[in-house]
Amino acid sequence: MIFRKAVVYALCFAVFNLGSPLVARAELVGTLQAVESSTRAQDLATVSAALARQEVREQMAALGVDAADIDARVARLTDSELQTLADRMGEMPAGGDALAVIGIVFVVLVILELVGVIDIFKKT
Amino acid sequence: MRCRALAAVLVAAGLTACAGPGSLLESSRGAALPPSVELRSTPFHSQTDQQCGPAALATVLGAAGQPVAPATLEREIFVPGRRGSLQPELVGAIRARGLLPYELGGSLDELAAELAAGRPVLVLQKQGLGPWPAWHYAVAIGYDSERDVVLLRSGTTERLELRAPVFEASWSRAGRWAVVALEPGTLPAQPDLSRYVHATAALESVGRLDAAAKSYQAAVRQWPDAPMPRFGLANVAAARGQWSEAERGYRAALKLEPRLAAALNNRAEALAQLGCPLTARRELERGAAAIGPDDPLRATLSLTLAELEARGNTSEAQACRCYGMDACTAP
Repeated sequence: MIFRKAVVYALCFAVFNLGSPLVARAELVGTLQAVESSTRAQDLATVSAALARQEVREQMAALGVDAADIDARVARLTDSELQTLADRMGEMPAGGDALAVIGIVFVVLVILELVGVIDIFKKT
Repeated sequence: MRCRALAAVLVAAGLTACAGPGSLLESSRGAALPPSVELRSTPFHSQTDQQCGPAALATVLGAAGQPVAPATLEREIFVPGRRGSLQPELVGAIRARGLLPYELGGSLDELAAELAAGRPVLVLQKQGLGPWPAWHYAVAIGYDSERDVVLLRSGTTERLELRAPVFEASWSRAGRWAVVALEPGTLPAQPDLSRYVHATAALESVGRLDAAAKSYQAAVRQWPDAPMPRFGLANVAAARGQWSEAERGYRAALKLEPRLAAALNNRAEALAQLGCPLTARRELERGAAAIGPDDPLRATLSLTLAELEARGNTSEAQACRCYGMDACTAP
Protein backbone atom coordinates (compact mmCIF):
# COMPACT_ATOMS: atom_id res chain seq x y z
CA MET A 1 0.00 0.00 0.00
CA ILE A 2 2.77 2.43 0.98
CA PHE A 3 4.81 1.40 -2.06
CA ARG A 4 1.80 1.95 -4.33
CA LYS A 5 1.28 5.40 -2.81
CA ALA A 6 4.94 6.21 -3.39
CA VAL A 7 4.58 5.11 -7.00
CA VAL A 8 1.51 7.36 -7.41
CA TYR A 9 3.33 10.37 -5.93
CA ALA A 10 6.38 9.71 -8.09
CA LEU A 11 4.19 9.42 -11.17
CA CYS A 12 2.30 12.62 -10.28
CA PHE A 13 5.60 14.46 -9.95
CA ALA A 14 6.93 13.01 -13.20
CA VAL A 15 3.69 13.67 -15.10
CA PHE A 16 3.30 17.27 -13.98
CA ASN A 17 6.90 17.98 -14.83
CA LEU A 18 6.68 16.44 -18.25
CA GLY A 19 3.25 17.82 -19.07
CA SER A 20 0.37 15.82 -20.47
CA PRO A 21 1.02 14.31 -23.91
CA LEU A 22 -2.63 14.97 -24.78
CA VAL A 23 -2.67 18.78 -24.73
CA ALA A 24 -0.45 21.56 -25.96
CA ARG A 25 -0.78 23.55 -22.73
CA ALA A 26 -1.65 22.34 -19.28
CA GLU A 27 -4.86 24.42 -19.36
CA LEU A 28 -6.24 23.00 -22.61
CA VAL A 29 -8.86 20.27 -22.71
CA GLY A 30 -7.94 17.65 -25.31
CA THR A 31 -10.41 16.54 -27.98
CA LEU A 32 -10.31 12.91 -26.84
CA GLN A 33 -11.10 13.98 -23.31
CA ALA A 34 -14.00 16.14 -24.46
CA VAL A 35 -15.35 13.32 -26.64
CA GLU A 36 -15.06 10.66 -23.96
CA SER A 37 -16.48 13.10 -21.36
CA SER A 38 -14.52 11.85 -18.44
CA THR A 39 -16.30 12.47 -15.16
CA ARG A 40 -12.98 12.74 -13.35
CA ALA A 41 -11.05 15.96 -12.99
CA GLN A 42 -8.37 16.45 -15.62
CA ASP A 43 -5.59 15.91 -13.07
CA LEU A 44 -6.95 12.60 -11.87
CA ALA A 45 -7.48 11.40 -15.46
CA THR A 46 -3.84 12.16 -16.21
CA VAL A 47 -2.67 10.15 -13.21
CA SER A 48 -4.98 7.23 -14.06
CA ALA A 49 -3.63 7.20 -17.60
CA ALA A 50 -0.06 7.17 -16.31
CA LEU A 51 -0.86 4.27 -14.00
CA ALA A 52 -2.57 2.34 -16.82
CA ARG A 53 0.44 2.97 -19.05
CA GLN A 54 2.78 1.59 -16.40
CA GLU A 55 0.50 -1.40 -15.82
CA VAL A 56 0.42 -2.21 -19.54
CA ARG A 57 4.22 -1.91 -19.78
CA GLU A 58 4.62 -4.41 -16.96
CA GLN A 59 2.09 -6.85 -18.38
CA MET A 60 3.64 -6.70 -21.84
CA ALA A 61 7.04 -7.47 -20.36
CA ALA A 62 5.57 -10.35 -18.36
CA LEU A 63 3.91 -11.69 -21.52
CA GLY A 64 7.17 -11.79 -23.38
CA VAL A 65 7.08 -8.61 -25.45
CA ASP A 66 10.62 -7.47 -26.26
CA ALA A 67 11.65 -4.65 -23.89
CA ALA A 68 12.97 -2.62 -26.86
CA ASP A 69 9.48 -2.60 -28.42
CA ILE A 70 7.32 -1.77 -25.40
CA ASP A 71 7.73 2.03 -25.39
CA ALA A 72 6.75 2.42 -29.03
CA ARG A 73 3.79 0.08 -28.66
CA VAL A 74 2.45 1.88 -25.61
CA ALA A 75 2.97 5.37 -27.09
CA ARG A 76 0.54 4.78 -29.96
CA LEU A 77 -2.42 3.83 -27.74
CA THR A 78 -5.09 6.14 -26.34
CA ASP A 79 -5.74 6.34 -22.61
CA SER A 80 -8.91 4.29 -22.87
CA GLU A 81 -7.15 1.63 -24.95
CA LEU A 82 -4.42 1.51 -22.29
CA GLN A 83 -7.08 1.15 -19.61
CA THR A 84 -8.70 -1.74 -21.52
CA LEU A 85 -5.35 -3.47 -21.87
CA ALA A 86 -4.44 -2.81 -18.24
CA ASP A 87 -7.70 -4.41 -17.14
CA ARG A 88 -7.98 -7.29 -19.60
CA MET A 89 -4.72 -7.99 -21.38
CA GLY A 90 -4.58 -11.45 -19.89
CA GLU A 91 -8.02 -12.60 -21.02
CA MET A 92 -9.19 -10.50 -23.94
CA PRO A 93 -9.34 -12.14 -27.40
CA ALA A 94 -5.90 -12.80 -28.85
CA GLY A 95 -6.19 -13.62 -32.56
CA GLY A 96 -3.57 -16.14 -33.53
CA ASP A 97 -4.51 -19.03 -35.71
CA ALA A 98 -7.10 -20.26 -38.12
CA LEU A 99 -5.34 -23.59 -37.98
CA ALA A 100 -7.00 -24.36 -34.64
CA VAL A 101 -10.28 -24.85 -36.48
CA ILE A 102 -9.06 -27.99 -38.15
CA GLY A 103 -7.88 -29.22 -34.78
CA ILE A 104 -11.26 -28.54 -33.19
CA VAL A 105 -13.13 -30.39 -35.91
CA PHE A 106 -10.79 -33.34 -35.45
CA VAL A 107 -11.34 -33.35 -31.70
CA VAL A 108 -15.11 -33.28 -32.17
CA LEU A 109 -14.92 -36.20 -34.58
CA VAL A 110 -12.78 -38.16 -32.13
CA ILE A 111 -15.29 -37.55 -29.36
CA LEU A 112 -18.20 -38.60 -31.56
CA GLU A 113 -16.27 -41.73 -32.56
CA LEU A 114 -15.49 -42.60 -28.96
CA VAL A 115 -19.10 -42.34 -27.87
CA GLY A 116 -20.22 -44.42 -30.77
CA VAL A 117 -22.28 -41.80 -32.62
CA ILE A 118 -20.12 -42.18 -35.73
CA ASP A 119 -17.78 -44.85 -37.00
CA ILE A 120 -15.43 -43.23 -39.46
CA PHE A 121 -11.95 -43.96 -38.19
CA LYS A 122 -10.45 -47.11 -39.67
CA LYS A 123 -9.60 -49.81 -37.21
CA THR A 124 -6.72 -52.12 -38.06
CA MET B 1 -25.47 -42.15 -21.55
CA ARG B 2 -23.92 -38.86 -20.43
CA CYS B 3 -21.31 -39.22 -23.18
CA ARG B 4 -24.01 -39.39 -25.87
CA ALA B 5 -25.64 -36.26 -24.45
CA LEU B 6 -22.32 -34.40 -24.57
CA ALA B 7 -21.76 -35.52 -28.14
CA ALA B 8 -25.25 -34.36 -29.11
CA VAL B 9 -24.60 -30.95 -27.55
CA LEU B 10 -21.32 -30.61 -29.45
CA VAL B 11 -22.97 -31.53 -32.73
CA ALA B 12 -25.82 -29.12 -32.10
CA ALA B 13 -23.35 -26.34 -31.28
CA GLY B 14 -21.58 -27.00 -34.56
CA LEU B 15 -24.80 -27.03 -36.56
CA THR B 16 -26.23 -23.78 -35.16
CA ALA B 17 -23.41 -21.96 -36.92
CA CYS B 18 -25.03 -22.98 -40.20
CA ALA B 19 -28.61 -21.81 -39.52
CA GLY B 20 -30.26 -18.75 -41.06
CA PRO B 21 -31.39 -17.91 -44.62
CA GLY B 22 -29.92 -15.36 -47.08
CA SER B 23 -28.70 -12.78 -44.55
CA LEU B 24 -26.31 -11.11 -46.98
CA LEU B 25 -28.88 -10.95 -49.76
CA GLU B 26 -31.28 -9.04 -47.51
CA SER B 27 -28.54 -6.73 -46.28
CA SER B 28 -27.20 -5.81 -49.70
CA ARG B 29 -30.69 -5.20 -51.10
CA GLY B 30 -31.68 -3.09 -48.09
CA ALA B 31 -28.63 -0.87 -48.42
CA ALA B 32 -28.83 -0.54 -52.24
CA LEU B 33 -25.42 -2.14 -52.76
CA PRO B 34 -24.12 -4.01 -55.81
CA PRO B 35 -25.09 -7.71 -55.81
CA SER B 36 -21.48 -8.80 -55.60
CA VAL B 37 -18.06 -7.29 -54.92
CA GLU B 38 -14.58 -8.78 -54.95
CA LEU B 39 -11.51 -6.65 -54.17
CA ARG B 40 -9.16 -8.77 -56.23
CA SER B 41 -6.16 -6.48 -55.92
CA THR B 42 -6.10 -6.82 -52.12
CA PRO B 43 -2.66 -8.19 -51.18
CA PHE B 44 -2.34 -11.62 -49.66
CA HIS B 45 -0.02 -12.56 -46.83
CA SER B 46 -0.10 -16.20 -45.88
CA GLN B 47 0.01 -16.37 -42.10
CA THR B 48 2.63 -18.24 -40.11
CA ASP B 49 1.99 -19.94 -36.79
CA GLN B 50 0.03 -17.65 -34.40
CA GLN B 51 0.52 -14.69 -36.74
CA CYS B 52 -2.92 -14.16 -38.25
CA GLY B 53 -2.87 -10.66 -36.71
CA PRO B 54 0.23 -9.45 -38.58
CA ALA B 55 -0.93 -11.17 -41.78
CA ALA B 56 -4.40 -9.61 -41.68
CA LEU B 57 -3.06 -6.21 -40.66
CA ALA B 58 -0.43 -6.25 -43.43
CA THR B 59 -3.27 -6.98 -45.85
CA VAL B 60 -5.38 -3.95 -44.90
CA LEU B 61 -2.35 -1.65 -44.62
CA GLY B 62 -1.16 -2.75 -48.05
CA ALA B 63 -4.59 -2.12 -49.52
CA ALA B 64 -4.54 1.36 -47.93
CA GLY B 65 -1.32 2.24 -49.70
CA GLN B 66 1.13 1.37 -46.92
CA PRO B 67 2.66 -1.99 -47.82
CA VAL B 68 4.43 -3.69 -44.94
CA ALA B 69 5.63 -7.21 -44.23
CA PRO B 70 3.88 -9.26 -41.52
CA ALA B 71 7.26 -9.89 -39.90
CA THR B 72 7.63 -6.15 -39.28
CA LEU B 73 4.19 -6.03 -37.69
CA GLU B 74 4.95 -8.94 -35.37
CA ARG B 75 7.13 -6.64 -33.29
CA GLU B 76 4.31 -4.13 -33.11
CA ILE B 77 1.37 -6.33 -32.19
CA PHE B 78 2.31 -9.92 -31.31
CA VAL B 79 2.11 -10.87 -27.62
CA PRO B 80 4.04 -14.13 -27.13
CA GLY B 81 2.43 -14.94 -23.79
CA ARG B 82 -1.04 -14.73 -25.38
CA ARG B 83 0.02 -16.57 -28.56
CA GLY B 84 -1.63 -13.88 -30.65
CA SER B 85 -2.36 -10.20 -31.12
CA LEU B 86 -4.80 -7.90 -29.33
CA GLN B 87 -7.36 -5.65 -30.98
CA PRO B 88 -6.27 -2.29 -29.47
CA GLU B 89 -2.74 -2.86 -30.76
CA LEU B 90 -3.95 -3.56 -34.31
CA VAL B 91 -5.86 -0.29 -34.14
CA GLY B 92 -2.78 1.48 -32.75
CA ALA B 93 -0.61 0.15 -35.58
CA ILE B 94 -2.99 1.58 -38.19
CA ARG B 95 -3.02 4.90 -36.36
CA ALA B 96 0.77 5.00 -36.04
CA ARG B 97 0.99 5.08 -39.84
CA GLY B 98 -1.18 8.17 -40.08
CA LEU B 99 -4.24 6.27 -41.27
CA LEU B 100 -7.60 6.57 -39.55
CA PRO B 101 -8.69 3.25 -37.97
CA TYR B 102 -12.47 3.42 -38.12
CA GLU B 103 -14.45 0.82 -36.24
CA LEU B 104 -17.69 -0.23 -37.91
CA GLY B 105 -21.00 -0.35 -36.06
CA GLY B 106 -21.55 -4.11 -36.33
CA SER B 107 -24.08 -4.50 -39.10
CA LEU B 108 -23.45 -6.74 -42.06
CA ASP B 109 -24.69 -4.10 -44.48
CA GLU B 110 -22.20 -1.55 -43.19
CA LEU B 111 -19.47 -4.14 -43.76
CA ALA B 112 -20.78 -4.79 -47.28
CA ALA B 113 -20.95 -1.04 -47.92
CA GLU B 114 -17.25 -0.66 -47.06
CA LEU B 115 -16.43 -3.48 -49.48
CA ALA B 116 -18.56 -1.82 -52.16
CA ALA B 117 -16.58 1.39 -51.52
CA GLY B 118 -13.37 -0.51 -52.33
CA ARG B 119 -12.04 -1.00 -48.82
CA PRO B 120 -11.23 -4.44 -47.39
CA VAL B 121 -12.39 -4.93 -43.79
CA LEU B 122 -10.31 -6.34 -40.94
CA VAL B 123 -12.47 -8.64 -38.82
CA LEU B 124 -12.15 -10.77 -35.71
CA GLN B 125 -13.79 -14.18 -35.68
CA LYS B 126 -14.32 -16.63 -32.86
CA GLN B 127 -14.04 -20.12 -34.18
CA GLY B 128 -13.67 -23.28 -32.18
CA LEU B 129 -16.14 -24.73 -29.71
CA GLY B 130 -16.89 -24.33 -26.02
CA PRO B 131 -13.72 -24.58 -23.92
CA TRP B 132 -11.50 -24.25 -27.01
CA PRO B 133 -12.07 -20.73 -28.39
CA ALA B 134 -9.97 -19.94 -31.41
CA TRP B 135 -9.74 -16.21 -32.07
CA HIS B 136 -8.79 -15.33 -35.60
CA TYR B 137 -8.20 -12.16 -37.61
CA ALA B 138 -9.15 -12.24 -41.27
CA VAL B 139 -9.84 -9.68 -43.98
CA ALA B 140 -13.18 -9.52 -45.79
CA ILE B 141 -12.54 -8.73 -49.45
CA GLY B 142 -15.92 -9.30 -51.01
CA TYR B 143 -19.33 -10.89 -51.04
CA ASP B 144 -21.75 -12.52 -53.44
CA SER B 145 -25.34 -11.91 -52.37
CA GLU B 146 -26.82 -14.32 -54.94
CA ARG B 147 -24.84 -17.20 -53.48
CA ASP B 148 -24.94 -15.70 -49.99
CA VAL B 149 -21.21 -15.95 -49.40
CA VAL B 150 -18.54 -13.71 -47.89
CA LEU B 151 -15.03 -13.73 -49.39
CA LEU B 152 -11.99 -13.43 -47.17
CA ARG B 153 -8.22 -13.48 -47.10
CA SER B 154 -7.85 -15.82 -44.14
CA GLY B 155 -4.90 -17.61 -42.64
CA THR B 156 -3.14 -19.52 -45.39
CA THR B 157 -6.12 -19.26 -47.77
CA GLU B 158 -5.93 -16.47 -50.34
CA ARG B 159 -9.60 -16.70 -51.27
CA LEU B 160 -11.82 -18.25 -48.66
CA GLU B 161 -15.54 -18.50 -49.37
CA LEU B 162 -17.69 -18.71 -46.27
CA ARG B 163 -21.45 -19.02 -46.35
CA ALA B 164 -22.71 -15.69 -44.99
CA PRO B 165 -24.51 -17.22 -41.98
CA VAL B 166 -21.35 -19.12 -41.04
CA PHE B 167 -19.24 -15.98 -41.32
CA GLU B 168 -21.80 -13.98 -39.41
CA ALA B 169 -21.95 -16.53 -36.59
CA SER B 170 -18.18 -16.52 -36.05
CA TRP B 171 -18.09 -12.73 -36.38
CA SER B 172 -20.97 -12.26 -33.96
CA ARG B 173 -19.29 -14.43 -31.36
CA ALA B 174 -16.31 -12.10 -31.59
CA GLY B 175 -18.47 -9.05 -30.83
CA ARG B 176 -18.93 -8.05 -34.49
CA TRP B 177 -15.59 -6.24 -34.44
CA ALA B 178 -14.62 -4.81 -37.82
CA VAL B 179 -12.16 -2.05 -38.71
CA VAL B 180 -11.22 -0.21 -41.89
CA ALA B 181 -8.09 1.88 -42.45
CA LEU B 182 -9.21 5.21 -43.91
CA GLU B 183 -7.04 7.71 -45.73
CA PRO B 184 -7.09 10.92 -43.67
CA GLY B 185 -9.84 13.19 -44.94
CA THR B 186 -11.86 10.28 -46.33
CA LEU B 187 -15.24 9.43 -44.90
CA PRO B 188 -16.45 5.85 -44.41
CA ALA B 189 -19.33 4.43 -46.50
CA GLN B 190 -21.90 5.01 -43.74
CA PRO B 191 -20.41 7.88 -41.73
CA ASP B 192 -21.26 8.01 -38.04
CA LEU B 193 -20.40 11.36 -36.43
CA SER B 194 -19.46 10.14 -32.99
CA ARG B 195 -17.35 7.20 -34.16
CA TYR B 196 -15.62 9.33 -36.78
CA VAL B 197 -14.79 12.16 -34.39
CA HIS B 198 -13.60 9.68 -31.76
CA ALA B 199 -11.27 7.99 -34.26
CA THR B 200 -9.94 11.35 -35.45
CA ALA B 201 -9.40 12.57 -31.89
CA ALA B 202 -7.38 9.42 -31.20
CA LEU B 203 -5.23 10.18 -34.25
CA GLU B 204 -4.75 13.71 -32.92
CA SER B 205 -3.79 12.41 -29.49
CA VAL B 206 -0.82 10.46 -30.87
CA GLY B 207 0.47 13.57 -32.60
CA ARG B 208 -0.72 12.88 -36.15
CA LEU B 209 -1.90 16.48 -36.53
CA ASP B 210 -1.92 16.75 -40.33
CA ALA B 211 -3.93 13.56 -40.67
CA ALA B 212 -6.29 14.60 -37.88
CA ALA B 213 -6.82 18.05 -39.41
CA LYS B 214 -7.75 16.54 -42.78
CA SER B 215 -10.26 14.21 -41.14
CA TYR B 216 -11.76 16.96 -38.97
CA GLN B 217 -12.17 19.08 -42.10
CA ALA B 218 -13.99 16.23 -43.83
CA ALA B 219 -16.22 15.94 -40.76
CA VAL B 220 -16.97 19.70 -40.81
CA ARG B 221 -18.08 19.39 -44.45
CA GLN B 222 -20.20 16.30 -43.72
CA TRP B 223 -21.74 17.60 -40.49
CA PRO B 224 -21.63 21.40 -40.69
CA ASP B 225 -23.79 21.87 -37.59
CA ALA B 226 -21.77 19.59 -35.32
CA PRO B 227 -19.53 21.39 -32.79
CA MET B 228 -17.00 18.61 -32.15
CA PRO B 229 -15.22 18.57 -35.55
CA ARG B 230 -14.70 22.35 -35.30
CA PHE B 231 -13.49 21.92 -31.71
CA GLY B 232 -11.03 19.26 -32.84
CA LEU B 233 -9.76 21.44 -35.67
CA ALA B 234 -9.27 24.29 -33.20
CA ASN B 235 -7.29 22.01 -30.88
CA VAL B 236 -5.02 21.01 -33.77
CA ALA B 237 -4.42 24.70 -34.50
CA ALA B 238 -3.68 25.28 -30.81
CA ALA B 239 -1.21 22.40 -30.78
CA ARG B 240 0.57 24.11 -33.69
CA GLY B 241 0.57 27.48 -31.87
CA GLN B 242 -1.85 28.97 -34.41
CA TRP B 243 -3.88 30.80 -31.78
CA SER B 244 -5.87 33.05 -34.10
CA GLU B 245 -7.17 30.09 -36.07
CA ALA B 246 -7.74 28.19 -32.84
CA GLU B 247 -9.81 31.04 -31.35
CA ARG B 248 -11.96 31.14 -34.49
CA GLY B 249 -12.58 27.42 -34.27
CA TYR B 250 -13.51 27.47 -30.58
CA ARG B 251 -15.84 30.41 -31.22
CA ALA B 252 -17.52 28.55 -34.08
CA ALA B 253 -17.97 25.46 -31.89
CA LEU B 254 -19.50 27.57 -29.10
CA LYS B 255 -21.87 29.24 -31.52
CA LEU B 256 -23.16 25.76 -32.42
CA GLU B 257 -23.13 24.57 -28.82
CA PRO B 258 -22.80 27.18 -26.05
CA ARG B 259 -22.66 24.38 -23.45
CA LEU B 260 -19.41 22.92 -24.81
CA ALA B 261 -17.32 23.65 -21.72
CA ALA B 262 -14.15 22.32 -23.34
CA ALA B 263 -14.43 24.94 -26.12
CA LEU B 264 -15.17 27.69 -23.58
CA ASN B 265 -12.12 26.71 -21.57
CA ASN B 266 -9.77 26.44 -24.50
CA ARG B 267 -11.01 29.67 -26.10
CA ALA B 268 -10.01 31.51 -22.93
CA GLU B 269 -6.48 30.14 -23.28
CA ALA B 270 -6.39 31.09 -26.97
CA LEU B 271 -7.46 34.66 -26.15
CA ALA B 272 -4.79 34.87 -23.46
CA GLN B 273 -2.21 33.63 -25.96
CA LEU B 274 -3.35 36.33 -28.40
CA GLY B 275 -2.55 38.95 -25.77
CA CYS B 276 -6.14 39.50 -24.64
CA PRO B 277 -6.26 38.25 -21.04
CA LEU B 278 -9.00 40.65 -19.92
CA THR B 279 -11.25 39.64 -22.80
CA ALA B 280 -10.39 36.02 -22.05
CA ARG B 281 -11.71 36.42 -18.48
CA ARG B 282 -14.81 38.32 -19.57
CA GLU B 283 -15.69 35.79 -22.26
CA LEU B 284 -15.12 32.89 -19.91
CA GLU B 285 -17.34 34.41 -17.21
CA ARG B 286 -20.01 35.25 -19.74
CA GLY B 287 -19.98 31.79 -21.29
CA ALA B 288 -19.90 29.97 -17.94
CA ALA B 289 -23.55 30.91 -17.39
CA ALA B 290 -24.52 28.44 -20.11
CA ILE B 291 -22.58 25.56 -18.59
CA GLY B 292 -24.65 23.05 -16.62
CA PRO B 293 -23.97 22.62 -12.89
CA ASP B 294 -23.17 18.93 -13.42
CA ASP B 295 -20.70 19.48 -16.24
CA PRO B 296 -17.55 17.46 -15.52
CA LEU B 297 -15.42 20.39 -16.66
CA ARG B 298 -16.77 22.97 -14.22
CA ALA B 299 -13.71 22.49 -12.02
CA THR B 300 -11.40 23.01 -15.00
CA LEU B 301 -13.22 26.21 -15.94
CA SER B 302 -12.84 27.56 -12.39
CA LEU B 303 -9.15 26.72 -12.48
CA THR B 304 -8.65 28.50 -15.79
CA LEU B 305 -10.51 31.56 -14.51
CA ALA B 306 -8.40 31.60 -11.35
CA GLU B 307 -5.23 31.35 -13.43
CA LEU B 308 -6.33 34.28 -15.62
CA GLU B 309 -7.13 36.37 -12.53
CA ALA B 310 -3.79 35.48 -10.99
CA ARG B 311 -1.95 36.99 -13.98
CA GLY B 312 -3.14 40.36 -12.72
CA ASN B 313 -3.43 42.07 -16.12
CA THR B 314 -5.04 45.48 -16.02
CA SER B 315 -4.93 46.37 -19.72
CA GLU B 316 -4.81 44.85 -23.17
CA ALA B 317 -4.73 46.01 -26.82
CA GLN B 318 -7.75 47.88 -28.22
CA ALA B 319 -8.21 45.23 -30.89
CA CYS B 320 -8.97 42.67 -28.19
CA ARG B 321 -12.41 44.15 -27.67
CA CYS B 322 -13.45 42.71 -31.00
CA TYR B 323 -13.26 39.16 -29.71
CA GLY B 324 -16.16 39.81 -27.39
CA MET B 325 -18.50 41.24 -29.99
CA ASP B 326 -20.10 39.21 -32.77
CA ALA B 327 -20.27 42.17 -35.14
CA CYS B 328 -16.56 42.88 -34.95
CA THR B 329 -14.37 41.59 -37.75
CA ALA B 330 -11.14 40.96 -35.87
CA PRO B 331 -8.45 39.00 -37.76
